[in-house]
Amino acid sequence: MADIRLVDVSLRDGNQSLWGAAGLRTAHIATIAPLLGRVGFRALDYSSSTAMGMSVRRHREDPWALLRISRAAMPDTPLQFIGTGFRFISWERAHPEVIELVYRQLVDNGMDRFVVLDPSHDMDAARATARIAKKAGGREVIGALTYTISAVHDDAFYAGIAAQYAACADIDRAYIKDPAGILTPERARTLIPAVQAALGGKPLELHSHATLGLSQLTCLTAAALGVHVLQVGCGALGDGSSLPDAERLVANLRASGHTVDVDDRLLTAVARYFDRLAVAEGLPPGTPGSYDAAFMDHQLAGGTMSTTRRQLAELGLADRFGALLAQIAQVRAELGYPIMVTPYPQMVIGQALANLLSVTAGGGRYDNVPDQVIRYAQGTFGKPTAPIDPQVLDKVLGRPRADELAAEPPPLTVAELRQRFGGRISDEELLLRFGMPGAEVDAMVAAGPAVTHYNPDTVPVLRLLRSLASRPAARELTVDKPGFRLSLRSSMSTEGGDVS
Amino acid sequence: MSGRRVLRRVLVANRGEIAVRVIRTFRRLGIETVLTVSEADAASLAARLADRVIGVGAAPAAASYLNVDAVAGAAVAARADAVHPGYGFLSENARLARACAAAGVVFIGPDPETLEATGDKLAAREHAVAAGLPVLPGGHVTAAGRSDADIAAMESRAQQASPGLAGGPAKQAGADQVTGEDAAGLAERIGYPVLVKAAGGGGGRGLRVVRDPAGLEHAVAVASAEAAAAFGDPRVYLERYVERGRHVEVQLLGDGDSVIHLGDRDCSVQRRYQKLIEEAPAPGLDAGLRDRLRAAAVALGRHLRYRGAGTVEFLVDAERGEFYFLEVNARIQVEHPVTEAITGIDIVAEQIAIAEGRALRLTQDDVAFAGHAIEVRVNAEDPRRDFLPSPGMVTRAVFPATTLTAGNAAGRVRVDTHIQAGAAVSPLYDSLLAKVIAHGADRDDALNELRDALGRCRIEGVTTNVGLQRAVLADGEFAAGGVDTGYLGRFLARDPLGDGQGAAGPAGDMRAGDGQSAGRGAGQAAGSFGARGESAEPVRDDRDGDAGAARG
Repeated sequence: MADIRLVDVSLRDGNQSLWGAAGLRTAHIATIAPLLGRVGFRALDYSSSTAMGMSVRRHREDPWALLRISRAAMPDTPLQFIGTGFRFISWERAHPEVIELVYRQLVDNGMDRFVVLDPSHDMDAARATARIAKKAGGREVIGALTYTISAVHDDAFYAGIAAQYAACADIDRAYIKDPAGILTPERARTLIPAVQAALGGKPLELHSHATLGLSQLTCLTAAALGVHVLQVGCGALGDGSSLPDAERLVANLRASGHTVDVDDRLLTAVARYFDRLAVAEGLPPGTPGSYDAAFMDHQLAGGTMSTTRRQLAELGLADRFGALLAQIAQVRAELGYPIMVTPYPQMVIGQALANLLSVTAGGGRYDNVPDQVIRYAQGTFGKPTAPIDPQVLDKVLGRPRADELAAEPPPLTVAELRQRFGGRISDEELLLRFGMPGAEVDAMVAAGPAVTHYNPDTVPVLRLLRSLASRPAARELTVDKPGFRLSLRSSMSTEGGDVS
Repeated sequence: MSGRRVLRRVLVANRGEIAVRVIRTFRRLGIETVLTVSEADAASLAARLADRVIGVGAAPAAASYLNVDAVAGAAVAARADAVHPGYGFLSENARLARACAAAGVVFIGPDPETLEATGDKLAAREHAVAAGLPVLPGGHVTAAGRSDADIAAMESRAQQASPGLAGGPAKQAGADQVTGEDAAGLAERIGYPVLVKAAGGGGGRGLRVVRDPAGLEHAVAVASAEAAAAFGDPRVYLERYVERGRHVEVQLLGDGDSVIHLGDRDCSVQRRYQKLIEEAPAPGLDAGLRDRLRAAAVALGRHLRYRGAGTVEFLVDAERGEFYFLEVNARIQVEHPVTEAITGIDIVAEQIAIAEGRALRLTQDDVAFAGHAIEVRVNAEDPRRDFLPSPGMVTRAVFPATTLTAGNAAGRVRVDTHIQAGAAVSPLYDSLLAKVIAHGADRDDALNELRDALGRCRIEGVTTNVGLQRAVLADGEFAAGGVDTGYLGRFLARDPLGDGQGAAGPAGDMRAGDGQSAGRGAGQAAGSFGARGESAEPVRDDRDGDAGAARG
């Protein structure tokens, strides 16, 4: 029996898996941050370049300011940033100097734990990113072992990667990342000991999504095997395609004889806050999933799943989800089984969607190929884990666009970016302008500092009042119930609005 | 205390608006609160906001809120990690701090040694001199006209530290020490006008202003006779009388190593040592003077190795461009919201962080000041009846909505109150009902916002000073900014409420409300309902530690 620590992913992976990275604003996070910092979590999975981009695009809020606010509110809690080390917000490959600047700014603004994640398990790339994170001042670097089921991803494959993490001085610990939630307890019983044996004593964590309802049991299995840090989500931001629900896991761990030193009162307060927020904002809470054998083929991570459904609905193709899943499974095999973790799901889905649309219109598969797929085939993001289907490779690389992309100039250096965007802006803003359309950054700057206080309980009332204010015909409102009376009159007829 | 300690449950050992105020920050931070209540306060707003309440005794403060053993015992019984004492009551009580330490409970305030150093007015003055702060020139004289022997030594020390300023100690000298030069000589060196006051007294009794040498002998003789009769101590004390003094104070935060300031506040609108309107920053101060005030406060904080939130109070001689140390308030103060408004800092949250053993989270460079903030105190007292306390049942309480909160300076109006319709205002406690704070881009903007906010307050069932406060806010002299501590007395003498009651007492009475003679003695019960008589403790008012004197 062991002392188990928890890493909470609500703010980053929870928001991304369940709410398409669009649910949480600065005010939502700033309000709960002091409590999150006091629950007793080992760390928080806190941000990513995608999340930072969404802050700007969706909420017109400065993601760097949010990092600083969060750090001030949670002085003791390691805050984790997850990144691939080759891009920042945009899908373009960034110059290594730019990536170094990104990590320096992340550290300066309060991030101190960095996930090194190379989606192709390209170890040279992982080591280079770890070096950059450590050089920037990152205190803890954690290497990802991204779990998938394929002909090549056996226990020995992961043990081989673990051995390389063990040998890398810039990597402090590792975690098994199971973005699709397909790690069964049975497989965990062989995989975890194989990885642990190769890690040379570096700690191992488990990050297993709850999508298929496997993760609670897999976490308990892992704990029994000596994995002492487990990743969870809280309340509405746990379960479903997010990580297993924290309250339930704590209870399950304790029932198994483990100790979990968290402040239960605060854990509940955090979970109920996210519950109330989900209701107030109309966001779907994570719900316990059930096993789905078909899922093992497409292996779509939580965030991708919700984003994909939203995109299909926006195209008026909500009923074609099943057909799309079939395309996804096929494209993934043809492209050499990329692990379905950012940026590859987006790439695979983009191709699958293109195929679906052209087949629907009477054309053929791979008639349209997104730039991302061409770049992948050209090796821009590293070497694919398994070879790409030769016929598909020909179709992809035989396009004129492939030559154009191959002839693209190399990514801009920091000095060149400064030249392009001007010397007066901060490094933080420079990086946003590098990664995003200027108009979106302009809109963020124009919006001014973000609101930092949020109370989900007042949202319905404020919404009602705003809707009333937009209807000048309504001059008087009275809410009357036992022990409570709210009376509002239009200020046009009396000396002032009065609440009694 | 050493090392980090995360606070999970805190005993809030106070009542009224400050209990509500600190509970709000504890809730925001996810820290469980247990509130001490007397028998009179079990249904208070603070009691309803707290996670738990624990009774500490009967309604009189001496039997409950001032009872060190009861409060320390409650902390242990509640299994609290820490005690937040608010202001007033036991907030600067070294015995409580020591009792907490002995019980393994964190006292959210300075170390006991600091509380002792700052709690004794004379010791605090000596520390101020040692830290190089200017103190009012002055010294003891006897009825025979001799001054204390140790004046010269202290003066030379003060002069070394602050050239050009004479400093004298107000030491409780024994009779055998009483020697030295005569009163006339001392007064000459101090410079007229001088204030003659009873050394053993306090609270404004026996005070006389002497404007030229001709009146000195008589004043000393009368004061000495009065003092002998009243306090059994004929010694009198002379110090420079500052005609147009302003009460300016500097908010400090310290972690035992580093000390920073959060800017200054002006609290010159006072009536009988009780602050009624406070603002930040102090209006119209010369930039050099403001810098020197802040630097002096930080120097004293460093000298004391100050840990926690505290305030250094000064008397500013606007005419001479000089300032003098008055005292240190080693706790949160009533008027802290104006500082929070212009800095965006939640001072209670910083107190908690320091109590958890953290180094200061802010450097001086992190502290930025935005705009201007003004606070008015709404008291249950009747300005038409010489500010007689007005306890009773509040039948209606309407305040403007709070948009400005601690730690978030984005809004414009903040109301800190413990009053709702149905609240009982007890005659046993402080008369403070609410603080209304407005924040604006500049002083005029803040003042306009505050006039509007105060205009929207409706409090029925008890008589309040809201009308008077509105009249002050509408007054041209106040609006111009930078009034001295004699302002309110002169304003009242103009009969602002138009009922012939304007001059609330003799002019001399108001004159004493200058912040200069701030003593911790008993006697001046302004703004309080008289808990003092029941207090067995060395007199400490439940009003922000005011003890009925010009503090808070």
